[in-house]
Amino acid sequence: MKCENCTKKECSKKQKNDDAQSTSVDVLSSNDDFEEKNEFFTLANAKILLSDCLACDNCMTSDEGARVFQQNQKEFFRILSLNKKCDTSKHKVLAVSLCPQSLPYFAAKFSLSVNDAAKRLCGFLKSLGVHYVFDTTIAADFSILESQKEFVQRYQRRNQEEHALPMFASACPGWIRYAERVLTNLVTPHICTAKSPQQIMGSLVKGYFARQQNLSPEKIFHVVVAPCYDKKLEALREDFYTALYNSQEVDCVLTSGEIVQIMEQKSVSMKDVTEVAVDSLFGEIKEGDVVRHDGKRSDGYLEHIFKHAAKELFGMDVKEITYKALKNKDFQEVTLEKDGETVLRFAAAYGFRNIQNMVLKLKKGKFLYHFVEVLACPGGCLNGKGQTQTEDGKPDKALLSQMEDVYAAIPVRLPEANAYVQEMYQDWLEGMDSRKVQETLHTKYSAVNQTASNLDIKW
Amino acid sequence: MRSQAGSASAVHSAVMDSAPGSAEARLRSGCLGSPPLPPAAPRRRRPPGSPGPPGVYMAPRPPARSAGSASGCGLTSASGSSALTTLRRPLGALPLPALALTSVRSDGGGAMKEALVLQSRVAAHPEARCWFLAWSPGGALLASCGGDRAVRIWGREGSGWVCRAVLADGHQRTVRRVAWSPCGSYLASASFDATTCIWKRCEDGFECVTTLEGHENEVKSVAWAPSGSLLATCSRDKSVWVWEVDEEEEYECVSVLNSHTQDVKHVVWHPNQELLASASYDDTVKLYHEEEDDWVCCATLEGHESTVWSVAFDSSGERLASCSDDKTVRIWQCYKPGNEEGVACSGTDPTWKCVCNLSGYHSRTIYDVSWCRLTGALATACGDDAIRVFEESSSSSPQQQQPTFSLTAHVPRAHSQDVNCVAWNPKEPGLLASCSDDGEIAFWKYQQPERQPLDGDEAVGLGVADHHPPALLAFLPEDKERTRSVGDGAHLTQQAASPHPAAPEAPPGSRHAPGGRGER
Repeated sequence: MKCENCTKKECSKKQKNDDAQSTSVDVLSSNDDFEEKNEFFTLANAKILLSDCLACDNCMTSDEGARVFQQNQKEFFRILSLNKKCDTSKHKVLAVSLCPQSLPYFAAKFSLSVNDAAKRLCGFLKSLGVHYVFDTTIAADFSILESQKEFVQRYQRRNQEEHALPMFASACPGWIRYAERVLTNLVTPHICTAKSPQQIMGSLVKGYFARQQNLSPEKIFHVVVAPCYDKKLEALREDFYTALYNSQEVDCVLTSGEIVQIMEQKSVSMKDVTEVAVDSLFGEIKEGDVVRHDGKRSDGYLEHIFKHAAKELFGMDVKEITYKALKNKDFQEVTLEKDGETVLRFAAAYGFRNIQNMVLKLKKGKFLYHFVEVLACPGGCLNGKGQTQTEDGKPDKALLSQMEDVYAAIPVRLPEANAYVQEMYQDWLEGMDSRKVQETLHTKYSAVNQTASNLDIKW
Repeated sequence: MRSQAGSASAVHSAVMDSAPGSAEARLRSGCLGSPPLPPAAPRRRRPPGSPGPPGVYMAPRPPARSAGSASGCGLTSASGSSALTTLRRPLGALPLPALALTSVRSDGGGAMKEALVLQSRVAAHPEARCWFLAWSPGGALLASCGGDRAVRIWGREGSGWVCRAVLADGHQRTVRRVAWSPCGSYLASASFDATTCIWKRCEDGFECVTTLEGHENEVKSVAWAPSGSLLATCSRDKSVWVWEVDEEEEYECVSVLNSHTQDVKHVVWHPNQELLASASYDDTVKLYHEEEDDWVCCATLEGHESTVWSVAFDSSGERLASCSDDKTVRIWQCYKPGNEEGVACSGTDPTWKCVCNLSGYHSRTIYDVSWCRLTGALATACGDDAIRVFEESSSSSPQQQQPTFSLTAHVPRAHSQDVNCVAWNPKEPGLLASCSDDGEIAFWKYQQPERQPLDGDEAVGLGVADHHPPALLAFLPEDKERTRSVGDGAHLTQQAASPHPAAPEAPPGSRHAPGGRGER
């Protein structure tokens, strides 16, 4: 006879009851299971909407597809329900990290201020059984700082090294996968080696935080709430896996839309949720008001690297950045003029068609830019398919516009100004330029050779 | 598609048996990255000792067979000269023997053959398929491309056509499609090697000025917009790309459209607007236009039951013809918002409705359709080796909302293998070029046949004679529409779909009788 809370066959609690009671208890438990199952089925029926960069079969194997699909609410609830059962060996500490582009979605969707949205979301998640809710802005701080440093180094090496410039941003997993699998050697040496914010957050939670809390990494189940589905693929990256602890740094990525689905499933309205302050990685300290990085639609690599490079390389203080839209609104240019000469040329290329044009120019050797912030989704991360896609597969433009307003209203904080970051560089990472920094905050990109398809297709 | 010399039963069953398997194999290969195919038996062979003469090929006629099942399929069978001559006898001398019914039907009648007359034939791409033809905008040159990875340019010399240039070394694999720019100075070639070459005309030939890359796999089609500054390509990777070319001959990708769910076979531009149409293995035709700073799919035309192979706009661009593996040609009409007929439109986008479905004329997949901008004649290229021409009947309903098309020419053995492309010359009315898997290009002259009283030959040829004793045919009225609609199961019914949204679209015409089941 099994105890309904148990995964173990024999339970110490169970043995105290007589048989008559246990039968009725079993009936009840099977109902519970049934309800849970229903919930799972409805929630886990969603489609995966990857970016155009990952559209063809070359980019994702069916095995990866299955693992991406597995990162869904069902998985989330499975872990939550394991926590409710008696078998403590299966209990995990649940940590959820929120992406900066997801918060405006909740704020806009439920007409809340972004701070309220963050706190209520935290309250909701904790009511489900989540232990910690983090904001990934700190991980983005690290990523931006490392990218800035790397750009300056590459710029200084530009005449010695063929592949130093241009440099491409590395935060978007759709872009990275496309670059590795399809564009290969033409592009991979140019990608900034700094890890993306999601990857760094994984290291922070399962490395730094785990150690602070005296937890083993595999005891933590790390969930990331992201604006898109491509992030699910990123979570599977191999260098994202600590063989020592048999644990991925990010276990499950849920899109903002999937979280809203959970709320709807549970008939919870954001209005009714109690506000709970968002946690930080530093013990009892809670996060203050939401801050963001510069830039309008992405993590702000272009803006921060531009300003840093202007200062470091040319001694210029840039306050405002002026964008010039080329071909279309997803291809923008930013230039730095000194003494009448253009010394820096940066660009933002969002969306598959702009990536194509960029690649064409690169192949022809007519590439003018020093740095390009590349994103797979037109409109940037706020327009990720995990947030703005409506039922009929079209992006919700009105919602996007609201999100942009919300995001723009959030105060900007420079990564350099985050005291905790400076502290962690000293304590955890053993210095700004240490080997540990290279190991923890940087990664490698491989040009994966595709098998040439030799089918002599007649059609 | 050929019948082998032999007994009639062998002919018919051989044709029927070989057809589904091999056609299916052919269709499947490559479209879905298919599993290995069974070794296909050669589907076609000329009867030994008989080189195909130019013009319609006529093999010795097999012995008579009952009209029943054979007629059902309407397939090309060996047609006998003797049968034809029999039918040319004055009406009074009939009754027609049953065998004549069979064979003449497949021939389509003498009048129809004379409407489309062969002028010359060229072995264009030796040892390979000739995939596509494109006339230069001036009509003086014809570009062809094929499985030999080359593009050839043909010009007239005397009464024949000679090869003026060979564009080799542009591609590593089959060249599937060629397209001239509206000014005639550039030629684009789309290849299975996933690239599109742009060739520029210069004094002594053509040179490749740039190669468009980006598609994941085989590029199936390329087309130039009427403005000359936009180009569209489509591929087995399910996407349609729109490119823009600037004054410095720089090409940039303007949009990547992923609306289709399967291999996209063909793209074609509207004759005077920047509206793009694409045909796909997913059985639909999609239309695209520019909205704000990106291209979007503004309409999906559903109705075909199998792969749509090609589309063609008429000269006004108000109508679109699509041809499919489901052996039908469908005509679609554009209804703008606020139209008189009361067809609902969403917003400012026009709605397209199927107004005519030509079914029962083709016995196999229709690979190409070409709508003459000068005469309005519609030519089709079919997997049964035949070329057919249709014209809109003037007796269609006055508002032109339910057009009817009549078959005005049919050459059953236009080529010895599948006809892949038909192309009307843009300047010379009636000049039609066609190409085939046999690597040949054929040039035809089309004469719209004058309306003649429907005599016994034609009635029989049109297949309506099943239910009428031949002798009565002489007394049927001239009205071709009526004779045609008589007798169901008659293979030449036309289904006109009502343009009104309330009415359901007409079911796709009468299917072929038991013999010819649709294949995918």
